[in-house]
Amino acid sequence: MAEPQRVPPPAPEAFVSIAGLSLTYGAPGQVLVNALQDIDIAIDKGQFVSLIGPSGCGKSTLLRIIGDLLSPSTGKVLIGGSEPREARLDREIGFVFQDSALLEWRRIRENIALPLELRGTPKAERERKAEELIQLVGLDGFQKAWPRQLSGGMRQRAAIARALSTNPRILLLDEPFGALDQITRDRLNMELARIHEVTGVTVVLVTHSIREAVLLSDRIVVLTPRPGRISRFIDVDLPRPRGLEVRNDERFDDLVRLGNRELEKGYM
Amino acid sequence: MSDTVQKLLRPNGFVDLAWPPVAAFIAIVILWEGLIAVFEIPVYILPSPASIWLAITTNPGPLFGHAGITLYEAVAGFIIGSLMGAVLGTVFAYSKIIARGLLPYVIAANTIPVVAVAPIIIIWFGHGIGSKIAVTAFLSFFPLALNMMKGLQSYDRTIMDVFHIAAANGPQRFFKMRLPSALPYVFVGLKLNVTFSVIGAIVAEFVQADKGLGFVIMTSYRTLAMPRLWAAMLMSALIGIAFFALIALLERIFVPWHASAQDNR
Repeated sequence: MAEPQRVPPPAPEAFVSIAGLSLTYGAPGQVLVNALQDIDIAIDKGQFVSLIGPSGCGKSTLLRIIGDLLSPSTGKVLIGGSEPREARLDREIGFVFQDSALLEWRRIRENIALPLELRGTPKAERERKAEELIQLVGLDGFQKAWPRQLSGGMRQRAAIARALSTNPRILLLDEPFGALDQITRDRLNMELARIHEVTGVTVVLVTHSIREAVLLSDRIVVLTPRPGRISRFIDVDLPRPRGLEVRNDERFDDLVRLGNRELEKGYM
Repeated sequence: MSDTVQKLLRPNGFVDLAWPPVAAFIAIVILWEGLIAVFEIPVYILPSPASIWLAITTNPGPLFGHAGITLYEAVAGFIIGSLMGAVLGTVFAYSKIIARGLLPYVIAANTIPVVAVAPIIIIWFGHGIGSKIAVTAFLSFFPLALNMMKGLQSYDRTIMDVFHIAAANGPQRFFKMRLPSALPYVFVGLKLNVTFSVIGAIVAEFVQADKGLGFVIMTSYRTLAMPRLWAAMLMSALIGIAFFALIALLERIFVPWHASAQDNR
């Protein structure tokens, strides 16, 4: 059994490279809070990477920096060679939040097509793409439903479809299934794995469930409590495609244990 | 055809919902008429339904003419006041400093009784219909300004992030996010304004007018023509109800996604 090892700093040819990144909060004169420190991560094209760590470790903050919702104090993020801002303006970033954040005044199809509408894509093209995504995420029959008529799991499916509408090169998910019950969560994990496989999109998932991270990822980045630093990379060498039954695998348990041990280190 | 009839007749259809208030109305009218006959209540205390009906139907032209004037004042004032309120509410929502500077005065002005300002507005705007519209607009202004501001500030922060990720521009954020999320608030304001606009028009006519339902009420009062006064009062109520129903219908059309526009069954 190969013990996962520490991985060297990002190679310049990586698809996403995060180098020397840190973030410090606080206005001048106030107490400064170190949220993130010395983060170096390289992500290959098409890779599925999870960020995991105790609450308050800055994993969501890191994701928001990649998605250009926040700026780092120092360091650099490159997505396919572009700064996050450029990548965002080129509509190369898809973002899914813990809250589905659907627009209650739009039907599901128009919610999914929203980013295309904002980009100025013609209506026929928008509708074609929305229909394709509705099939992909398994929402057929709900094209004309209002968001409030959907369950939490279905709302997240719609949010994922919306994030994919512009064919982004990277999909960022911030604890997207955190508010769902276990059965729905399992099902959506499988959906996400399938979507990753079908589209080949690069995925960064923030989660606080080590089991979810092991189930889905190629690589797990474990962060320490504040200030968030990289505690360890865990490469998940379980074969793909993975079904839920992979959780009965001994290797799966080993990786979960490894992850838990790494997380607990932060509290000692 | 039979489809329509069935729709009207089924549980929660029109007939099912409408018969209790209709039955209550008929019962009240009969009781009312009966009490007046039994206790010989004089007409200046309480006119009978029949005498009110006669006041409306004998020579209905002038009464409906007055009602039309009041309706016109109420609607025109409602539209002008609501539009101005919407614009100011939008300015408040977008400029914190202007909101902080003016909001206390707007709220203070909102507490002035309309009967106190009506004479001033009539001095400013003259004795015609214009001054009645101005009083109505004054009343319709505040509810919408405050609700518009609240509504535009009520958008979801995560949806804001969604628009940011999608690289939306300023107008897109306004028209596709903030304005739609403000609409339920806007309709709360508009429904308040409906009631206020009829009050505003009639109060302004009390102060000074030679036409309109407020004028009819005042002249009937002076001559103790009580059936005519009651007729005018009922018509002003009907105007308010019809106007409110129209706004509720518009709400169903423009905010079909919101809980308040849907059936609470």
